Amino acid sequence: MSGADGNKSSHTELSSQVFLDLVDSVIADVASECHRVARLGLDRDLEVVEEELRLSVEARAKVADPSNNLETNTKFVVDIFGQTHPPVASEVFNCMNCGRQIVAGRFAPHLEKCMGKGRKARAKATRSTTAAAQNRYARHSPNPRYSPYPNSVSENQLASGSPGVADEDCTNGTVRENVKGG
Amino acid sequence: MKHSVNRPPTPDEDDASEGFEKDEVTLREIINVKLVESGEKENLMELVRDRLVECGWKDEMRIACREHVKKKGRKDVTVDELIRVITPKGRASVPDSVKAELLNRIQNFIVSAAL
Repeated sequence: MSGADGNKSSHTELSSQVFLDLVDSVIADVASECHRVARLGLDRDLEVVEEELRLSVEARAKVADPSNNLETNTKFVVDIFGQTHPPVASEVFNCMNCGRQIVAGRFAPHLEKCMGKGRKARAKATRSTTAAAQNRYARHSPNPRYSPYPNSVSENQLASGSPGVADEDCTNGTVRENVKGG
Repeated sequence: MKHSVNRPPTPDEDDASEGFEKDEVTLREIINVKLVESGEKENLMELVRDRLVECGWKDEMRIACREHVKKKGRKDVTVDELIRVITPKGRASVPDSVKAELLNRIQNFIVSAAL
């Protein structure tokens, strides 16, 4: 065979073979993938699928059941350890900032006010001088304090007196700075 | 003459006298090598895979595999068996458009490779 036709036919045949090679590769890929899925049991069997379908239908029916309180139904779910979690955390503990007893569910809003992170609280805090606030923070580290009142009292006094001077610790009760002359 | 086990026969050393057929085999290998070296084989593979997924061919094959697995039982199937089962059906069910596109591209490559 000579000429363009001969070449063409062998070309076509060649390309067909190459094409078949490619298809065979893809087929092998698919087969390998399916084999893996089958052996590992990843692809649910017909029976398993049916059972899961049944379970999901049951679960759906339970959720849709009007006799259950919907809120409790969705929130009072049982986790894998069998514990239930109420929607609002009800434990009471002491705030580490101000020392008051706080319900855990209300802790975040409390902290906003307590630590001055919220808008209103921050506006309140900036009313005293920033130096006083700085002092408060400076004095925080040596002596952790648990009640707000000496703090605010000293803050006010410092504000009116000399700002940025006092290094004295006020929780001891001796407010030397402001007792002038004795 | 010693041949290393996995080495494909090269035209000079091999004794086989089926001239034309052997030429074709060699030609095929040459094409293959050129395809791989130029990266075109990878492109073609990706193209084939994409097209076959798009047209649902892969899903059909997977369904066929699953059927076979269900028949034979999950633990008994081998990859070879699955390949054997789906190859004839797979080859036959490639859409014509996909086949035409691929063949076209391959032919262009062969021509441009000046063979």
